[in-house]
Amino acid sequence: MLKRLLPLLLGGACAALQAAPQLPATRLHELAADPFWLALGHYQRDRLGGWRSHVDDDEFFLAERGERDPTAELAATLAALYQEPALADRHPQCRFPARTRWLRERLNLDDLPQPQCREYADWHADIAPHSTVLVFPAAYLNSPSSMFGHTLLRIDPPGIDTQGSPLLSYALNFGAYIEGSDNSILYAWKGLMGGYPGLFALLPYREKLAEYSRLENRDLWEYRLNLSAAETGRMVEHVWELRQIQFDYYFFDENCSYRLLELLEIARPGLELTDPFPLTAIPADTVRAVQQAGLVERTDYRPSREKELLARAEPLNGTELEWTRRLAEDSAALASPAFQALPAERRALVQDAAYRLIRYRKSGEERDEGSARNSYRLLQAINRNPPPRLAVERPMPPENGHESRTWQLALGSREDQSFAEYGLRMAYHDLEDNLDGFPLGAQIEIAQLKLRQYEGNHWQLQRLDLANIRSLTPRSALLSPWSWQVGGGLERVIGKGRHDDEQLVGHLSGGAGVTWPLAEGLLGFALATARLEQNEDFAAFISPAAGFNAGLLWRNRLGNLGLEASADYFHNGEVRRDLSLVQQWEIAANLGLRLAARREFSQQGAPASELSLQLRWYHY
Amino acid sequence: MKRILLGSLFAIASVNAFAEAPGGPSCGWGNMLFKGQRGLASHLVASTTNGTSGNATFGMTSGTNGCRTDGALTYSGKPMLVLGSIMDELSEDMAKGDGEALTTYAVVLGVQPEDRAHFAAVTHEHFAEIFSSADVTAEDVHNATLALLKKDARLAKYAEQA
Repeated sequence: MLKRLLPLLLGGACAALQAAPQLPATRLHELAADPFWLALGHYQRDRLGGWRSHVDDDEFFLAERGERDPTAELAATLAALYQEPALADRHPQCRFPARTRWLRERLNLDDLPQPQCREYADWHADIAPHSTVLVFPAAYLNSPSSMFGHTLLRIDPPGIDTQGSPLLSYALNFGAYIEGSDNSILYAWKGLMGGYPGLFALLPYREKLAEYSRLENRDLWEYRLNLSAAETGRMVEHVWELRQIQFDYYFFDENCSYRLLELLEIARPGLELTDPFPLTAIPADTVRAVQQAGLVERTDYRPSREKELLARAEPLNGTELEWTRRLAEDSAALASPAFQALPAERRALVQDAAYRLIRYRKSGEERDEGSARNSYRLLQAINRNPPPRLAVERPMPPENGHESRTWQLALGSREDQSFAEYGLRMAYHDLEDNLDGFPLGAQIEIAQLKLRQYEGNHWQLQRLDLANIRSLTPRSALLSPWSWQVGGGLERVIGKGRHDDEQLVGHLSGGAGVTWPLAEGLLGFALATARLEQNEDFAAFISPAAGFNAGLLWRNRLGNLGLEASADYFHNGEVRRDLSLVQQWEIAANLGLRLAARREFSQQGAPASELSLQLRWYHY
Repeated sequence: MKRILLGSLFAIASVNAFAEAPGGPSCGWGNMLFKGQRGLASHLVASTTNGTSGNATFGMTSGTNGCRTDGALTYSGKPMLVLGSIMDELSEDMAKGDGEALTTYAVVLGVQPEDRAHFAAVTHEHFAEIFSSADVTAEDVHNATLALLKKDARLAKYAEQA
């Protein structure tokens, strides 16, 4: 009798220790279809109607088919929660605190074993999550990689406004994880094509600040979200589950912004932020999505160090700017009688500007004794005669700018032929587009298609831009940035086309030069250019050309006006010149009317004039 | 399709915006006015206090640039480490008597909000003692600050806490 009972008893004891509740299959399926469970697993419908997780890492799944089977993953998780508590930090409850909490609450699992999750508890206590800030380092003109911007989250502890400092908070960043030393072209290519895994990183916010505001000179926008402490906590709980977990990373869609939106959906179940991004997630658009979801409580602005330097130098006159440069070269001049003869309050401004200029120039470089001594001497002078607090005017926030996609409809005439033109640009902004929220002189166009319909229902591909980037950064008394441009795609030039005088050519072009601020809201620029062209009219398969591109960009009451002249002198003798005038009329935030006039000259045919009126609709 | 939509022209642009930049000079931080920001002291403190979680980039530790191990410590923890990473900003703020880095340092020292203006005024006044040369280390700065606090009736209690 006893012999027969013993195994039963033992079996019973084991069962009591390890018993995960056996749910009927329908209940399992029902739970696994819950949007929150799907969000925790980063599942997405695939083309065949099944599920597939964005996570590309076996560590993240407890079930063998977990990557494609939310139900199996749920069943495996449920069983795993009942593993031996002595596993401690390696216990699935410690690995997956968000899954654990959700299952416990949904299924009233009050008999769960209670492992000691010390690592997790320490980590959580260190972060002390209480509120969340979405951080958007805005585009910086001279850095193409920054032109789309970036987004990250800042997790603040309690009392951040009264007791604390954001410099002590953690930043949560999603980025490609790059090992080794790929060169930058390979780096870019692999980044675009998903060649690097994406990982979440959590690091002190002050380091991110230094990176963006000092090294890259990008303004930072901080959007305090109205997530509650519980919601922030839930998100951070899930972040722990993503520790060292690899995602697929793609520049355009599954990028930093997309991942952060997913996290916000976990913080507040029911939010639908990722839905509107089927194709590309541009950080400014994600900020807009968060804004529209009513998540933003307050917006703070941090100007870059470069903006601060320029703002400090702004009231200085010519002599004072001269002193600024001199002091930045050698601050021993502080003691010179000529400098001391300046009024004290002007000296305070000059000293501060000079200090900022040194630090600006030296950022990103190795420390050297000379500049350290110079800087220190200036700091001492600043200490004795401190400048007034610097106020930098807050620009229009980037999410108020026009939307990213542009639909274009134009009517016009070329010589004696009239045409209609239909265009679509996937992203983002050109020199004359509605300016609010963008810097003057920045252009980044990606994937633009223009189709033209001439009289007699003759259709032709007018233009296909892969990318067209221009960065016209004005020089100032203190800073001398270069301006540059690069573009490539298909376009029409004067030649022996099949139906008319236009030939479709492929090209890759670039240029470098200088931009000057001529007056408030008026830039003048001149660039030397180079071009490679594939043109059927030419004997050679590829024809190189050198040339120039110069013009004016004027911000006026209607909108932006651009006046440009350019010329290309080809190796084979062809000379092509082009004059154009564009005036945009900003009708509404997402609507513009553009008048464009253009005259082209070429040795391949008669000069041609074109005039058009174009409606531009910025629409997601 | 969507992944190859916008091909190779982007190759000239680096994907920096979405990725951790590889470490530049000074561990990717940029030029530092003051030495010792990542000095032996910081590393020592870090390596002894920073026992948990061995991974590279997930709070508690750091190391995207392979050269630092700070970031682990909380408000009341070790002001030294925080100080080490904001030396430049702090020197500028103290010289001017105002700023975010100065507030941050006050916070890690445990200075209460009502005493922070006074803290800022005192450290501003004695800037030259705290940052006594271009070669001071975070440790020098911290010790000089504590010595200064001790002499101030209102702030002395914070020097003892620390």
